[in-house]
Amino acid sequence: MAVVQRTARPVMPQVWRRYAVPTGIALAALVLIVVTGGKGTKLAEVPTWLDAHVKPRVDVINKWAVKNNQKHWIFTGVFDPIASALKGINSAVYWILRTLRWPGVLGLTAAIGWKTGGRRAALVGVLTMAACGVLGFWNDTMVSLSLMIVAVFVSLLIGLPLGIWAGLNDRANRWLRTFLDTAQVMPAYVYLLPIVVLFGIGNAGAVVATVIFAVAPAVRLTSHGLRNVPIVATEVGTSFGCTPKQLLRKVQLPMARRSMLLGLNQVIMMAFGILVIAAYVGAGGLGALVLHGLQNVDVGKAFAPGLAMVFAAVALDRITTGERRRAIHTSPLGIRLQKILPTSLARIVAALAAVVVLAVLAKMLGASTFPKPLQVSISKPINVVVKWVNNHVRKGVPVIGGTGAINDFLVLKLLTPLRDAFQYTAWWLVVLLVGAVGWKSGGRRLGVLCAACMVGIAALRTWDLAMDTLSQVLVAVVISVLLAVPIGILAGRSDRFERILRPILDATQVMPPFVYLVPVVFLFDVGRVPGVIASVIYALPPGIRLTSLGLREVSHSVREAAVSFGATPRQELMKVQLPLALRSVMLGINQTILMVLSMVIVAALIGAGALGLETVYGLTKKEIGRGVAGGVSIVLLAIVLDRITQAWGSRQPLDPTHRGA
Amino acid sequence: MPLQRVSNKGESMKNTSGRLLLAGTMIAGLAACGSSATKTVTTAAAGAATTTAAAPAAAKAGEITIAVNPWGGSAANAYIAKYVLETKLNTPVKLVELDENASWIGLDKGDIDANLEIWPSGHGADVKTYIDEKKTVVNLGLLGPTGKIAWYVNAAALSANAGFSTWEGFKDPAASKKLGTAETGDLGRFLMGDPSYVSYDEQIIANLKLPLKYTVAGSEATLITAIDKAEADKQPLLLQFWSPHWEHAKVKLTEVKLPAVTPECLASADAKDGKYACDYAPDPLFKAANAKLATKNAKAFAFLSKMKLTTDQQNAVAGEAGGDAAAMTAPAKKWVDANPDIVKAWLA
Repeated sequence: MAVVQRTARPVMPQVWRRYAVPTGIALAALVLIVVTGGKGTKLAEVPTWLDAHVKPRVDVINKWAVKNNQKHWIFTGVFDPIASALKGINSAVYWILRTLRWPGVLGLTAAIGWKTGGRRAALVGVLTMAACGVLGFWNDTMVSLSLMIVAVFVSLLIGLPLGIWAGLNDRANRWLRTFLDTAQVMPAYVYLLPIVVLFGIGNAGAVVATVIFAVAPAVRLTSHGLRNVPIVATEVGTSFGCTPKQLLRKVQLPMARRSMLLGLNQVIMMAFGILVIAAYVGAGGLGALVLHGLQNVDVGKAFAPGLAMVFAAVALDRITTGERRRAIHTSPLGIRLQKILPTSLARIVAALAAVVVLAVLAKMLGASTFPKPLQVSISKPINVVVKWVNNHVRKGVPVIGGTGAINDFLVLKLLTPLRDAFQYTAWWLVVLLVGAVGWKSGGRRLGVLCAACMVGIAALRTWDLAMDTLSQVLVAVVISVLLAVPIGILAGRSDRFERILRPILDATQVMPPFVYLVPVVFLFDVGRVPGVIASVIYALPPGIRLTSLGLREVSHSVREAAVSFGATPRQELMKVQLPLALRSVMLGINQTILMVLSMVIVAALIGAGALGLETVYGLTKKEIGRGVAGGVSIVLLAIVLDRITQAWGSRQPLDPTHRGA
Repeated sequence: MPLQRVSNKGESMKNTSGRLLLAGTMIAGLAACGSSATKTVTTAAAGAATTTAAAPAAAKAGEITIAVNPWGGSAANAYIAKYVLETKLNTPVKLVELDENASWIGLDKGDIDANLEIWPSGHGADVKTYIDEKKTVVNLGLLGPTGKIAWYVNAAALSANAGFSTWEGFKDPAASKKLGTAETGDLGRFLMGDPSYVSYDEQIIANLKLPLKYTVAGSEATLITAIDKAEADKQPLLLQFWSPHWEHAKVKLTEVKLPAVTPECLASADAKDGKYACDYAPDPLFKAANAKLATKNAKAFAFLSKMKLTTDQQNAVAGEAGGDAAAMTAPAKKWVDANPDIVKAWLA
């Protein structure tokens, strides 16, 4: 039509620039691949002089630490006191939970839930917490819960100030980012044993490992929240004479609330996700029970305590991140309560008194353990289901042929060709290509950084393994994004869908991967496919959550303006809401990539090999240097992928009413 | 106390970040009033914890800590020792479940007093570092059973090629290909379990020039799942496995004959020169303790040094509990009570 033609012509040069240059680069790269002859030729291999000698160097440090961990001041004066403090706090929290008994703990849950999120949060908190008892794991849940309370508390203590700093200061943001990438991607498995050398076995080591892993979302989402505060709001604050401190406390932090709550939610979920690993170093609790199940390859027995972990995580999450809807002021009970206890201090004291009374009553009535008649064992039914699936989905399914055929298809047609292509290409060509993508995405500096990271991988002597990992990661990321963005859009548009989705996402983050991976291995066979599946399952939640958050953060005035100009709901989504949410969506994709990378190790433990296996090998065989070389290579890949996607994100248009980064 | 300081701040904060701090305040406050009001409520707390002996409770006087590594045999030894120590020597015992590598760090620091089942083949470096050089850990002598790592094939592999009962049967690429999968292409698949296990398989495969691809299943659970899957699919399988293990009672696995162990071969294992090309040497399981245990509790130290079990005795206890550490208390008690003479010899 005429209109289209008129606008189409001037656009041509732009289209030319957009597609022709990358195509040209790709063609040139292809020619170079052919010219260099690819894998096996001298030109294509990483030269031997390019070697950072990381393995022997780290081994020397490790040997020193092992030799001196009871003598040197850094242990006796720094690590040991921290360890005993953490142990002490943890024992205190555990003692309180045990002393309160189950009625007291449920009462406390209800009180905190009601205070923060009203009746709904209180109810959900009590029900999920009670569910841990119903599953028959009350005591073990308390062991794990005390560890989690301490770990989450310490994570926030460290994460919130850092997040505020990163939110207000661009340079801090850049530097912290490298640290966060490392903390998030370097799986706990990697630093677990070194931490145990420093902090000892048991709860102290477990808390430190959990904090390192879980602190990242607190920093990231606090900073993200502060950076997305509408500029109008900060300007109003400043013009009314706010000092920077007042501006932060009274304007920016309250307005970043939604993002910070999501941060708290993610801290809790990630912390609970580490319980099984903590059990490797003697933390006991639900994690140890899951390991018992896995030891005997009894899925039902591993699943039941895993489910209790999910319930406990959801309970802690809902009573701390509850959106208060002023329920306390409107419900008849709330109004009456406010008359009797006018100050919040009085209400807190009364609530605590009630909890203590509950605990004393429980003691007098002899209700020390969770009542047996209320307990239900779900292990056997789960095993029946697993057995049925194993016998019916593996083969003989019409059209697709079953999971065995899917496995072979993915391996032969997707994973292997991609890996071979990456490994075949001359290493310096990959460096240049990655550098070019970086340059295109975020300018010269990013290009240099990306290329440097890739050279770093070469110098760590892990090139082929890194290419193998990269091919697997890309496949998992593409699948995750294709699933996460549409689901996130649905969740962002429908409150009800989001409510249904939330516990499912929590479960996928908290449930120890091995519990569902054992059946996956049975269905798909040991190899890269189960690794990809595990990565996708684990990486979906942040993608979905941040897409939904982005849509919800688009200001109402902009959306209303679109509607008043006659936009259909579809147009409003596609032309207004989604473009403005792209920044958040890109953060989601970015987090998806980091999550996939953080699963590289777990994937290695179900047969995916590559960098993950190299890392595990080094650590479990006490060749720490080898493990570090593998682990650092994973982190370098993460930095490249993180910075590139982040650069895409910051190129997206801002909501006109927001300040942005 | 840092907790207090933070919690005061928490009370004034109305935004999100205050939420968890608020929870902390409540707990801290409760601890304060709890210490006076709820003293009477505490007693029943002990003893109710199931297997999670690492539960953060204050250490009792004279208490010793024994490691439980993640397999049934390790749990059986530890629960037997715990019952004997508590009933005969009046020594309270805390059991800590943890991984074998972390156990060494615990033994070194003294967080763990004893570990009663160590498979030596995987821990040569630890023995050297902690027992020989640093001398923070002492060898408590042999436990009794001898383990054996080996190559195994399943029944489907043997019916595909009877020659798979010795290593020479894998030399023919056409035969080995019967062990292949989508992941291994033209090569046969050689499956190995946990990467932390001792393994010379890569060297054996390379040095004997076998057309096999070394594949790591990743963990004991996935290795066993792979065995079960191969059994269900009648798919030929070659793997590194070991005995004693409960899976042998479930699935028929046949040991592959590898070249006999020679002194040169063992020397190459120590030298780490990559020339290993023979069978695995038998693994006599041994016990170890923190060096300070001898002075801290001499009686317990003497008992743990003398304690010995046969494979059958260990299996009797572990088997009755289904290999599950959580169910080991009763079988251990039953076995000790039924064998007073054996226990008496340990205490003499």
